[in-house]
Amino acid sequence: MNSSKAAAARRRRFDELVGVFHQDMYRYSAWLSRDRTIAEDVVQESLLRAWKSLDSLREDAAAKHWLLTIVRRENARYFERRRLETVDIDNLTPSQEALLANQPNEELDEMRAAIYRLDDDYREPLVLQVLMGYSTNEIAEMMELKQGAVLTRLHRARHKLRDEMQEEVADRDRCNE
Amino acid sequence: MMNCEDYKEAIATDPSWEGGEEHLSGCAACLGYRDDMQALDRRIEQALSLRVPDIETPELPELDTGKVVALPARRRISPPAWFAVAATVVIAAFVGVRMVGNDVMYSSLADEIVAHLDHEPKALRVTDEPVSERRLTKVVPASVANMNHEAGLITYARTCVINGKKIPHLVIQGEFGPVTILLMPDEMIDGAVQIDGQSINGVILPVGSGSVAIIGEDKENLGNIQQSVVNSVSWST
Repeated sequence: MNSSKAAAARRRRFDELVGVFHQDMYRYSAWLSRDRTIAEDVVQESLLRAWKSLDSLREDAAAKHWLLTIVRRENARYFERRRLETVDIDNLTPSQEALLANQPNEELDEMRAAIYRLDDDYREPLVLQVLMGYSTNEIAEMMELKQGAVLTRLHRARHKLRDEMQEEVADRDRCNE
Repeated sequence: MMNCEDYKEAIATDPSWEGGEEHLSGCAACLGYRDDMQALDRRIEQALSLRVPDIETPELPELDTGKVVALPARRRISPPAWFAVAATVVIAAFVGVRMVGNDVMYSSLADEIVAHLDHEPKALRVTDEPVSERRLTKVVPASVANMNHEAGLITYARTCVINGKKIPHLVIQGEFGPVTILLMPDEMIDGAVQIDGQSINGVILPVGSGSVAIIGEDKENLGNIQQSVVNSVSWST
């Protein structure tokens, strides 16, 4: 294959992978950062990094894991460069608000806000399991944790969300009385 | 056989788990718990499934990996190496004292700008099709600059990286072909820097606390364009 054909094939491969996985990349990034604008920046940086190291991806079947790992590292880099701030859910920036106001629906908004309030340690394994379909073993590998730690975090995350949703329902019932 | 505590523990870590059937068949409480957890998971999944905006592929650099051709043979712009010498001379005339020591960024900036044009040839097509207002707003957000349409017909808009900073890269159509405009709100220069090449003609102009690079074909008279571009740009910070 001559070099221009190789370049075109490389670009085609990249475009195909991005076409399939860009939604997962964005959603993962958005829930890691809890900010739409940051998520877009992180995805852009991740795409650039993926492009540069595409040749290191031997099997396209492993592309999702590879791309999400890049997103995870880019997200960490992004926050390394900036002072970590505690997010006050009552005082969000427009970009953070935009994440919660995605496809307005009262019940989903409440769930989204509850997920938003989860600690990073709980939110990330939940996203990887529920949205990305990873097993607890795979999550443990990605997050560099023991499987037991992942199980505990998933368990606690669900219980926190369930408790919050039950409180929301109780609050609504009180308001309607 | 598993007890209620074990079963609930397992279901709370993965509500799609299909084990524990034997326990479940005799325990209504755990059956209810499983159904609750599965319903909760469906809502979690819906909540997590954010609508995804159009993700724009960033500018992808040509890679010289041995497998990939670095640049097409047809180059519209004079070689960066040649330009770098000319640019350095011209810049030195304007900012000579600041070229001493580590502060040699102006020559690299100019060099980088020309190299950037060189590897983004598709920006330089002749067209009368304007970019959408939405795209323009995305590339030149109000938080970076306010830009009106005095500059001319904008036919290309993309966020690019120059000197490590994301900047709006625009192209307008001039009399002799496309004219590149790079808005660099964070690149302060002391004075105008002329860019002369074998087939290009351009300038980097100081604008407020930043600068704007304008590069066109060698025959292009950039005087009017410069004026309208400078008038049309105001930095937001």
